[in-house]
Amino acid sequence: MKRTIGAAVILLGAIAAWPTHVPAQQPFTTVAAGVNKKMVKLFGAGGFKGLPSYGTGILVSPNGYVLTVNNHILSTSDLRVHLYDGRFHHAKVVVKEPELDLALVKIEGEVEGLPHFDVDKASSQPLAGAGDWVLAFSNQFQIATRDEPMSVQRGVIAAMTELRGRRGIFEAPYNGDVYFLDAIACNPGAAGGIITNRKGELLGILGRELKNTLTDTWINYAVPIQAKADIQRGDKSDTVSLASFVRLGIEGKYKEGEKRKLVDKGGYHGIMLVPNVVSATPPYVEEVMPNSPAAKAGLQPDDLIVYVNGELVTSIRAFRELMKHFGANDKVTMEVQRSNKLKSVKLELTEVPKLTK
Amino acid sequence: MATRRGFVLALIIGMVFLAGWRSLAQDADVLRDEAARVAVVDKVRPAVVAVFARGGQGGGSGVLISDDGYALTNFHVVQAPGPVMQCGLADGVLYDAVLVGLDKVGDVALIKLLPKKAGEKFPFAVMGDSDKVREGDWSLAMGNPFLLATDFTPTVTFGLVSGVHRYQYPAGTLLEYTDCIQIDTSINPGNSGGPLFDMKGELIGINGRGSFDKRGRINSGVGYAISINQIKNFMGHMRAGLDSDHASLGALITTQTEKSGLGRMMVTSILEESDVYRRGLDIDDELLSFAGRTISSVNQFKNVMGLYPRGWRMPLEYRREQTRKEILVRLMGVQARIFDVGDKQPQPPQQPPKGIKLPKGPPSPAAKFYQAKQGFANYYFNKLEQDRLLAGFRKLGDFSGLAGMWTMDGTVRLLKLKSESKFRIDITEDKAKDAKVFRPLVKMTVGEFPYQVLPLEAQDPTLLRVPESSGGLLTAMYVYHQLLNQGAKPFSEFAHGGHEPLYPPSSDGKTSKLADLRVDTEVLNTRLGPFLVKWFFALSDQKLLGYEVRLNENEDPCEGYLSDYRAVDGRQLPHRLQVVYGNTSYGTFTFNRFQLGTAK
Repeated sequence: MKRTIGAAVILLGAIAAWPTHVPAQQPFTTVAAGVNKKMVKLFGAGGFKGLPSYGTGILVSPNGYVLTVNNHILSTSDLRVHLYDGRFHHAKVVVKEPELDLALVKIEGEVEGLPHFDVDKASSQPLAGAGDWVLAFSNQFQIATRDEPMSVQRGVIAAMTELRGRRGIFEAPYNGDVYFLDAIACNPGAAGGIITNRKGELLGILGRELKNTLTDTWINYAVPIQAKADIQRGDKSDTVSLASFVRLGIEGKYKEGEKRKLVDKGGYHGIMLVPNVVSATPPYVEEVMPNSPAAKAGLQPDDLIVYVNGELVTSIRAFRELMKHFGANDKVTMEVQRSNKLKSVKLELTEVPKLTK
Repeated sequence: MATRRGFVLALIIGMVFLAGWRSLAQDADVLRDEAARVAVVDKVRPAVVAVFARGGQGGGSGVLISDDGYALTNFHVVQAPGPVMQCGLADGVLYDAVLVGLDKVGDVALIKLLPKKAGEKFPFAVMGDSDKVREGDWSLAMGNPFLLATDFTPTVTFGLVSGVHRYQYPAGTLLEYTDCIQIDTSINPGNSGGPLFDMKGELIGINGRGSFDKRGRINSGVGYAISINQIKNFMGHMRAGLDSDHASLGALITTQTEKSGLGRMMVTSILEESDVYRRGLDIDDELLSFAGRTISSVNQFKNVMGLYPRGWRMPLEYRREQTRKEILVRLMGVQARIFDVGDKQPQPPQQPPKGIKLPKGPPSPAAKFYQAKQGFANYYFNKLEQDRLLAGFRKLGDFSGLAGMWTMDGTVRLLKLKSESKFRIDITEDKAKDAKVFRPLVKMTVGEFPYQVLPLEAQDPTLLRVPESSGGLLTAMYVYHQLLNQGAKPFSEFAHGGHEPLYPPSSDGKTSKLADLRVDTEVLNTRLGPFLVKWFFALSDQKLLGYEVRLNENEDPCEGYLSDYRAVDGRQLPHRLQVVYGNTSYGTFTFNRFQLGTAK
């Protein structure tokens, strides 16, 4: 009996000594230095219309595979990577998965033994939750080049919920659950950066810059490393995890899903606008087709269309672009200005009617 | 079976106990950290300043750094109020304050709060070592964001250092943030000029800028503080009321990379009038390090260059083919490039420096501490520093009554002769028979070789460089005589030039690392006749350690290094003079006898 209690005490002593507690005010210099070695700065397309030409990525293999966000900077034949030690390399996109909004990039030329994140291992950990303390790492604002380290920020996971974001008029490609952060982490160039726990263990990937569809404010979020997405390949639909995308991508076996139809044919609304004479002709209604969704909704000639589903439309061109994203049976809310008053109308779009003689 | 059950039971009881104990212990840690943080904030709070234009218009933040009321803030904070302003401290008391010095490129200003009664001591922050700050460290920012506090109680924000040695490109034409500290600690309008503290409460930076994009000009999670170590380099200049300038090398450095791998920092163009060119750097040389820091990217190069004031000499290492060389480079300016044309125009006197507006309304009590002069932020403080320096210098020996010929003799080891010779130097300032003015004449004999110069009469510059390989030792001796004998009087320009490093050659002639030779000094910039003379004084006792005498800004001076001070008739005099011109040493003089003003 004595011996067993003794053994239990020793075991408890071991548990008590286990370093789970991190003092609240400990600096994160060592953690930051360790994480930084597994991250890269990406330089590619952009530099116009407020789109940055730089981004962030993480090494996911010792031989130079880099995981990053599938955004515009990859649309170039001159993609460049800066490693933590200042080395510079060209790189090529290996495979993308739009549904996860991620891409796998490979450094060209011989590299080996690079420090990297083990995505499989990270994704086998339980999800973090609201209230958890995180560190965010990225090359926001292109502050760093060459061997200069990533920016590190601290924050708290404010919520874990479905991503309802958009950039301009396009919705976010990924719409699973994400970590929302209280830190302003999703600045220009931060996409492809990461959040970690206090020990520097990978929790999620910072997403592209997005506005919240409800509040119209820029949001700070990360896609959990355990993320999954449903993808369509021909007739079959499949669920892929972020980790399997990385694993199969490195093995050269990953098949991209089909592109989600972001652009529909455009449903029929029955609105005829005034002639589009200048580059920003305001979308005034010229005529409403009889029995059309617009007629049913009560639209009238001379109405000025101001908002479509909360999106400001300033020109005929913008209106037409926007309407391409809807299809038959979609419900669309429009705010129109009629003799100095705003009026809200709801249209239910239909198939384009066949021409009759 | 029983034993096993006993073990499990003991384990369970123990675990329950431990769980409770550990959560308590954790709470205790959190509470302890919190208490420590509160204590630090309490300690530093009294030193935080709220800066306002007179009448409370606009403003920013600042921090006191000395008990006599000197405080740091941003240039862009004092730009609107002009040379006089008002400052509120955490205890709610409002003080009048005056602009002292500026570092416009670095976005720093030094101001001075006026005590309510003579001798009143201000609380102040202790400056830390910002080179020890690492990314991931905690930090505290304090100040008056959004000018919230009408009673001047500072706001404190707490966050991480996101990066160090950051480079931020100039905003507009000048304001460049080099080697700055990046923080996620919340910085908002009004925080500008306020202090960034480490968790010991030491001042590590001055908050002044953020990366703003589509989120508007409020905290974006990316703020920048000017590192206190950079500010320390400019402190001597700012204390002396200077409108100081930053440094540039005079050569363009670009990264050259092969298909992949590390970049090499190559010199791709160079100004022929630059000091760095005269020291030997040329196109296609590879820059290895500057001021002791290894350079491997353009950002790093700009970072380290931004740390220093114009005119400082810093060591630079480069590689040409297989040879590594270390040279000492006099740095060129930054603002000169932009303001060159304007500065050469004749300026009406008593104009305030550019970028500073004169205040409106009734005169501030601080106005009597402000004196406008071209090239100075506030000449009043330059005069103050000159007077203090000269008073210290005179304590070491009063030479003012010593009229007549000065004679010095001893032995000299000239580099070109390799052997020791006797020398004698005579400085006379006799009146010519028919002339009404003094006719200074300096003669020197080294062994059998006679030299002489009429420093204020010769027209051809080459005649003033006597001996030629010394760069003008005889005129230098004349100017030195004038400083000792007459003080500031004979100089047409006379200004305190802040602090500069000096690198006296090692006395044994062995070449060692330049950084090991460095001595920090305070300088006087003077002009006498055609000569531009810079004097270097020890910070501790204003002993003259060296001088540089030149005829033009963009040419090598005759450098003299004075040492081995000993008392002669109760006056401290150097008994060794090392003379350097360009890249070579001219010789070392050892003085055995001084005869000052007795012989006619």
